[in-house]
Amino acid sequence: MRTPLSALTPADRAQLKRRMRKPVLTFLVLLALLAVNVTLGATLPFAHVWAIELGVVALMAATILLVSMEVIEEPPLIRLFSGLGFFWVCIMVGMTLTDYLGR
Amino acid sequence: MSEGLAKGVGVARAHHFESVAQQREATTLGIWAWLITELLLFSALFLVALILRIQHPEATVAAARHLKFWIGAANTVVLICSSLTMSMAIEFSRMGWQRAMVRAMLATAALGTLFLVLKGYEYYADWDEHMMPFLSSRPFALEETPAARLFVNLYYVATMLHAVHLFTGIALLLGMTWMAAKAGFLARHQNWIEIYGLYWHFIDLVWILAFPILYVVNRGT
Repeated sequence: MRTPLSALTPADRAQLKRRMRKPVLTFLVLLALLAVNVTLGATLPFAHVWAIELGVVALMAATILLVSMEVIEEPPLIRLFSGLGFFWVCIMVGMTLTDYLGR
Repeated sequence: MSEGLAKGVGVARAHHFESVAQQREATTLGIWAWLITELLLFSALFLVALILRIQHPEATVAAARHLKFWIGAANTVVLICSSLTMSMAIEFSRMGWQRAMVRAMLATAALGTLFLVLKGYEYYADWDEHMMPFLSSRPFALEETPAARLFVNLYYVATMLHAVHLFTGIALLLGMTWMAAKAGFLARHQNWIEIYGLYWHFIDLVWILAFPILYVVNRGT
């Protein structure tokens, strides 16, 4: 078992910096998007602000899926599986809301 | 996988797989198949929340304004932090830095526990404000708007189901951390960390959807 945090070589530091760049950037992007949504939710600056809030949520979900869950780097079959899940959700939400909104 | 595995890190091939690459892809596909069923379960609950908003807008807004917005926001920050520590654990596992990986996994479990503690406090505050319509012994605070009962009940179903997933996730994570601390773990089971990471990020994703759909969107008229 190595003890990297207590005795890092320059090569270790470079590797650590390279490997942690993506998780840290993703973390900062998610916090920034959450800050936008919390600010909008707390201040309610205009009517129909919910549309922007849902757009921000979609961005956050896409960030987690594509970057944190690394779907973008997976083989095609796994990308297809994960995409199909959301496609089914779209069918369910779309058909249900078509009924309720069309009454 | 964003970058290769360090020397000495890998997966012991099970006899029914032709190669380690096939084994890795099969396990990832398996967890995704399960996550899709979970996605459909939670999506149906969120869809009901949207329908309630369409059918009973005033009651839904009245109920949503009783939710603890700032605790929900703080809990979202906690889960985003836990996603960072889980991603760090995955990267440490790929680098072969076992001790750092174990610490990152423990930090993830600690943040998950903090989420549950905050959620418990939120439920207590709801109980104190008579916002538990399913309790016959305590009159519901929004008794004059009966449809609010529907939204509040849905809120409890969705958040408790999420909490059960999180509790299970913490228990699994602690068990896996115990195994992952043993010598030779990363040489044989490195992909367990990646597979588990998908589950943890999914729990995070569900809350990322639940917080705005339950707490934020319904605050505005």
